[in-house]
Amino acid sequence: MRYAAKSGSRFLRRFWRGLREWCGDAAYETYLRSKSTQSSSGRALSPAEFYVEQLNRRYSKPNRCC
Amino acid sequence: MNRIFRVAGWMVLGTLGAGALGAIALHRGEPLNATWFVVAAVCCYLVAYRLYSAFVAAKILALDDTRATPCERHDDGRDFVPTNKWVLFGHHFAAIAGPGPLVGPTLAAQFGYLPGTLWLIAGAAFAGCVQDFVILFCSIRRDGKSIGQMAREEVSERGGFIAQLAVLAIMTILLAVIGLVVVNALKSSPWATFTLAMTIPIALLLGLYLRFVRPGRVLEASIMGVALVLFVVVAGQWVADSPSWSRVFTLSGVALAFAIIAYGFAASALPVWLLLAPRDYLSAFIKAGAIFSLAAGILFVRPQVLMPPLTRFIDGTGPVFAGKIFPFCFITIACGAISGFHSLISSGTTPKMILRESHARFIGYGAMLLESFVGVMAMVAACAMPPGVYFAINSPPSIVGSTPEAVSATMSGWGYTLAPQTMPALAHSVGELTLYNRAGGAPSLAVGMAQIFSSTIGGERLLSIWYHFAIMFEALFILTVLDAGTRVGRFMVQDLGGRFWKPFGRTGWMPGVLVSSAIIVALWGYFLYQGVVDPLGGINSLWPLFGISNQLLAAVALVVATTILMKMGRLRWIWVTLLPMAWLVTITMKIFDVNPRIGFLAYAKALAAQVAAGKIPAEKIAETQRLIFNQRLDAAVTGVLAAMILVLIVEALVDWYAILSRRKESVLHESPYVATRWAADFSGAAHGDD
Repeated sequence: MRYAAKSGSRFLRRFWRGLREWCGDAAYETYLRSKSTQSSSGRALSPAEFYVEQLNRRYSKPNRCC
Repeated sequence: MNRIFRVAGWMVLGTLGAGALGAIALHRGEPLNATWFVVAAVCCYLVAYRLYSAFVAAKILALDDTRATPCERHDDGRDFVPTNKWVLFGHHFAAIAGPGPLVGPTLAAQFGYLPGTLWLIAGAAFAGCVQDFVILFCSIRRDGKSIGQMAREEVSERGGFIAQLAVLAIMTILLAVIGLVVVNALKSSPWATFTLAMTIPIALLLGLYLRFVRPGRVLEASIMGVALVLFVVVAGQWVADSPSWSRVFTLSGVALAFAIIAYGFAASALPVWLLLAPRDYLSAFIKAGAIFSLAAGILFVRPQVLMPPLTRFIDGTGPVFAGKIFPFCFITIACGAISGFHSLISSGTTPKMILRESHARFIGYGAMLLESFVGVMAMVAACAMPPGVYFAINSPPSIVGSTPEAVSATMSGWGYTLAPQTMPALAHSVGELTLYNRAGGAPSLAVGMAQIFSSTIGGERLLSIWYHFAIMFEALFILTVLDAGTRVGRFMVQDLGGRFWKPFGRTGWMPGVLVSSAIIVALWGYFLYQGVVDPLGGINSLWPLFGISNQLLAAVALVVATTILMKMGRLRWIWVTLLPMAWLVTITMKIFDVNPRIGFLAYAKALAAQVAAGKIPAEKIAETQRLIFNQRLDAAVTGVLAAMILVLIVEALVDWYAILSRRKESVLHESPYVATRWAADFSGAAHGDD
């Protein structure tokens, strides 16, 4: 029973993490964690700056299909 | 021992799939249960994935997990982001799955359920999935380069330019045709028009929230947005019931076309965070939910498929679109079997996010299989309604008549039963004024989906809500493709214009933004307008044009893939991409056939001869002239596209000959090999790959 509960909660955690990554909710956290941000000497972008910059980049090339 | 069980398991699965496929193909007489379609498709997909994709992965591409992928080498937290393979599968699927696999099979149901279903399954397994997979692999090996860049490097400089032009041309046709699908779904429907119109202020609200209140908190904003959208679906009924509000939202086809054109311009010129992106978030959630619900509904309800396996319209006399089964079945199915547009995604964001090369098989091949399954579900939903109802919804009045009695008599003549009161009663039960003359696939699919959903939850009482939910779902994500496509088209126009006048290429220069937006909107708006005023409803001429363009783009992708395979020394296996390419080119060239039931020009010529011989009544002459013009326009557009692709193919053939005869050194433009540091010590846990 305990094993099932543990597996269930692990699955739900993974699902939640996957859902956040899929929809872009975790994009800023991923950016902060990335190698280039951590090794860069400059200031990291704020959440609002990153959000706008990311959208401008994403929607400048085909990202939705027929 | 385990191996024996595994082999036995796959043999059972293969036999089950073959049996279900046989039942679909050979069954005659009584209606067939939809479960057969699901079993046949799923078993065939699993076997194709297990055997064919494994063969392509191992023998041809030789995927190498010791090689660092672009996201490991360039990890920047923006474009190059190491991503769990399930999450990336979801990303990739959400990007490739648009209205095509829903609308195409619904229209192709005109030929009966059999040809479309067989092509959906076989076309995906042997052509569409292979294209997506191979292009994804090629792009991974080239730091995530686009199909245009790969064409330029691997085939020729001119090849890259042709690919860029072809993408722009195809995007123009695509945007026009999906705009037309929305027009036909919304015209004379205040409920659906109100619901869709309200998604614009909802998206604006979400855009402001995500920009200024909680930047980047997509999940919570999307949950609020989805709740609001579901509310406006219900509220649409109150609008439809109010005589004054109903009048405001009852629009003609032409008015809707101009509204969509204005929307496309606004979405392209406004900041992306304000309208386009939040609408995309909404659409992604609703799309995933609706597709999942449709699959669950079909499995739960297990509807009977009432459409015969083959209809009389395989001879090219169909009312939904003109043309014989070959090549029009393949052209019409489009994205559910193979889509050239996918090559843009496979060489776009996905290769920059993939963790390991071996994931390309699951993501490239697997996601396309799932898209094909969406197509099979759409086919089931369309074929589960009585054929008379299907044809009454999708046929223009000039063919079936404009009164319930006339439509009913036409259906009887075709051998389908349709009582005169059936369609008005159905329209009333789904909350519409009429369901006649709604070609485009969206309304008939919505009726099919609503019947499946209401059999699961709510019964007859909720039929109208489900119908408008389905219409909203289709229109919402069609408009998402339309606005995102218009914006990308704007960038392409600016890129091309920038070659001649530098300031025009600057994406932040407002006059350039406005002019390029106006150009791209005028391009697709022209075709949309022509479709709306077409006497046969427009879909019959525009959808095949879209199918042809999309297949020609697939031919471009397969030319590039074949060239790369040849340069990799896989000459023995190049048939894997060469045969689908040859098939697509053959299908497209059939459009220039002299048979009026196949060729656009031949049909225009036959109509012109009828006019000249005085066989067309005086009141129909203007309509016929417009038909002739549209057929010639189709032929001209197809001719230009086909000429561009043929130039590319000839260039590739010259290149292949030079390589094979050793007159030219075979140079692959792959990124240099870098050993991964993840293979030995990286479990992927930090990125959710555990």
